[in-house]
Amino acid sequence: MKRILPITNAIVAAIAGLFVLLGYFFPSIFGGIQSVLIGWAIILAAFALLLGILNLALVHWKKANAKDPGGGYSMVLLISLILTLVFVGLSGPTGGLSLWIFNSFQVPVEASLLALLAIILIYSIARLLARRPHWNTILFLVTVVLVLLGTVPLLFVGEIAPLVAVRDWLSQVPAVAGARGLLLGVALGTVATGLRILIGVDRPYGG
Amino acid sequence: MNEIICPLCGKSNPPDLAECQYCQAPLKTGGFLAEPEGEGEQAAPPSGDTEKPSEKAPAPGPKSSLEAAIPDWLKQNEASFFGPPDVSAAEPGSGQVSEQIDSLINPPARPSEPAENAIDDDWLASLLEEAGAVDNRQAALPQKPETNRAEEALTSAPASEIGPEFLAEDGELPAIPTSPAEKPEWLTSLEAASKIKFEGGIFPDETEPTPAPAEPQEEIAPESPVEQPDWLTKAGPAPVEESPNEAVESPKEVDESPKEAEAKPGESEGAVAAAELPGWLEALRPLQSAAPSGPVEDVSGADLVTAGPLTGLRGVLAPQPSAIRPQKPPTYSIKLKVTDDQQTRLRMMEELLADEEKPKPLPSRPIITPRHIFRLIVAIALLLPMVWMIISNSQQSVAPQPGSVPGVVDFTQRIQALPANATVLIAFDYEAGFSGEMNIAITNVLSQLMKKNAYLALVGTSPAGPALAENSLHSASSNVAGNAAAYKNYANLGYVPGGTLGLLGLATAPRNLLPYALDGSNVWAGAALKPVTAVKDFAAVVVITNDPDTARMWIEQVGPQLQQAGTPLLFIASAQAEPLIRPYYQAVPAQVQGLIGGLIGGLAYAQAVGNYQPNGTWDAFSAGITISILIILIGSIAGVVMKLLPAGKKKEL
Repeated sequence: MKRILPITNAIVAAIAGLFVLLGYFFPSIFGGIQSVLIGWAIILAAFALLLGILNLALVHWKKANAKDPGGGYSMVLLISLILTLVFVGLSGPTGGLSLWIFNSFQVPVEASLLALLAIILIYSIARLLARRPHWNTILFLVTVVLVLLGTVPLLFVGEIAPLVAVRDWLSQVPAVAGARGLLLGVALGTVATGLRILIGVDRPYGG
Repeated sequence: MNEIICPLCGKSNPPDLAECQYCQAPLKTGGFLAEPEGEGEQAAPPSGDTEKPSEKAPAPGPKSSLEAAIPDWLKQNEASFFGPPDVSAAEPGSGQVSEQIDSLINPPARPSEPAENAIDDDWLASLLEEAGAVDNRQAALPQKPETNRAEEALTSAPASEIGPEFLAEDGELPAIPTSPAEKPEWLTSLEAASKIKFEGGIFPDETEPTPAPAEPQEEIAPESPVEQPDWLTKAGPAPVEESPNEAVESPKEVDESPKEAEAKPGESEGAVAAAELPGWLEALRPLQSAAPSGPVEDVSGADLVTAGPLTGLRGVLAPQPSAIRPQKPPTYSIKLKVTDDQQTRLRMMEELLADEEKPKPLPSRPIITPRHIFRLIVAIALLLPMVWMIISNSQQSVAPQPGSVPGVVDFTQRIQALPANATVLIAFDYEAGFSGEMNIAITNVLSQLMKKNAYLALVGTSPAGPALAENSLHSASSNVAGNAAAYKNYANLGYVPGGTLGLLGLATAPRNLLPYALDGSNVWAGAALKPVTAVKDFAAVVVITNDPDTARMWIEQVGPQLQQAGTPLLFIASAQAEPLIRPYYQAVPAQVQGLIGGLIGGLAYAQAVGNYQPNGTWDAFSAGITISILIILIGSIAGVVMKLLPAGKKKEL
């Protein structure tokens, strides 16, 4: 049984992956079974989300019971989770209470974090040259300043066309080239991983 | 003091008891009288006698060798047989001894008691040993000439005078059996042969007068614990009568042996001639026993054992005394020997460990440090101008124009090109924190769609998507109709799990993936969504995202189907995702038909649709970017200067 089960898992995974892949090339033939398999995968992914929430609650429940120094934060998280579940369960996902919680807590908190991030980034960049005086640091600082100058019209100065052009070139050529290079690498890795899973060499499902 | 040894338990009992006082076994029939103390050694095997001649009690008077060899227990029986002790033990003469022997060798036969036969064998063994020791040693001399001094003394005596050689084949006197089970084979055959000879009338006539004491012997025999077999009764007298003459012939050799010296008084009288063998017995002598059966090791040069149970033997492997010597095991102290230097180091180590365990107070840090001051300056420098711009509704900066922002014009045209009551799929896939940046564009787009009374199908690949969609819809509805809940021509389909697979499922079979709206209604049965079987059936697809990867998933999974049907794919992206989405928009053919990027694109779109509201946001944004550039430049220059200064090398911000 210990040998049969891993082989069966590999066969099932390979067949499922093959049908989904063939659905891209022959949608009229394998489109139906591709949709069924994708539907199963989506249901499993939704269930995984629920498991993740449950695991998060259990981890913080243990922390709160252990009376660790950070146990208070865990207790706050648990209370928030329970209250949100209660409110959303009572009013529905898009009800008044749910939107009130969302607009009153989640949106301001996340926006504040981004605002703090902006301030911390500016502060760090300002200290960067003093902390690490290097040519790379200088290059980084120059790039940041040029992009900022070309993004918006400066206060009391207005838009500087050459700076806008430089900003567009920096954001579209070097930045996108680097990002595309990364994406190509990711794509090649994804193809290789997919093939290994299809032929059963990699078995992330166990066995 | 004579005691009766219980044959059953082996304990001593008084002679007057008929039963053992310990185990109640009958003593008269099975027990025997214990030897007096000090006389046991005389009855011991001859081997012991040869080694310790001095320990033997000397004979009280002149006795024959055979009489001297008679054990005390036998003498006791003899005394009880002949009469009072004063008569029997005072001065026994040769004739008296002969009578005693005759009485001993002619007991009433009791063959039905094997235990008594065993006792007969013992006394017979001792008797034969004493009488025939000389013959045995003489026969053993050619092989083992250095057995002991007594044997050496006997070597010169004729073999016929000493005794039968086959009684001691190897010269080892302990070979005489002490129990019936150990009786040698030659003696058994001798018993049988002697009976036959006696029955045949070979026995000499000189022995015939001895039957006289048979009558009193028969009377005493039932009380005596020892008896003799028949063969010995008949064969016994022969050597007894011949021994006196033979013993007298060799007095010199007897004097050299300590053992023989003990029996010397008897021998001088010529009473016992134990070494004389009759002709018939000589004829019965086994020849195999006389000849050596194999090579014999010469142990003449070996050491003589002088102590222990093997006393008198040669060639015995000596044990290793040290190996078996019992001794007390050595005692080792369990106390650790530590020198003063080691103790000093141990104390130092203990002090170090004790210091490590002590909590050291952390150096008190000031609440306000230069770092904190610098951070506070940065925050105030950023926030104050921005807040001021918003409060004052500043209009210092020029609003961005739609033509200067790529994708805004196309986006506007695609929305304008939608028919009335069109079905539009809008995906809310951005984080709530980006709401401030993207709400302007979202609100304006939704407002335009509401004006066309488009049916809006709202989905989200982010868990926060449905709530964001609801909020944005309410906000747009407020702008259009003045009531947040006024617009009802939409369906919030909810969250699409599964990431890439979810998008693929949505593209291929949206009905199966999202069969119901969040309110539980079957929106697919409605008039707006009834003709929609795939994502390509929507009039347009608008994706709102702040993540370039999410945008890429939409382009890769949903884009191909939309391109086949000519359905526009429009993006409202944040400023961080816009540079990576723009290549899809600028590609030929374009994979993205319209793009609104960041706050600039939102304002540009608002300018394009004529819904721009100057509320100071743009000036605040512009002021924030400008101040940020100034902070970076000033901070970098200050840092370099302080780094170059000598004091700055020691102290940093």
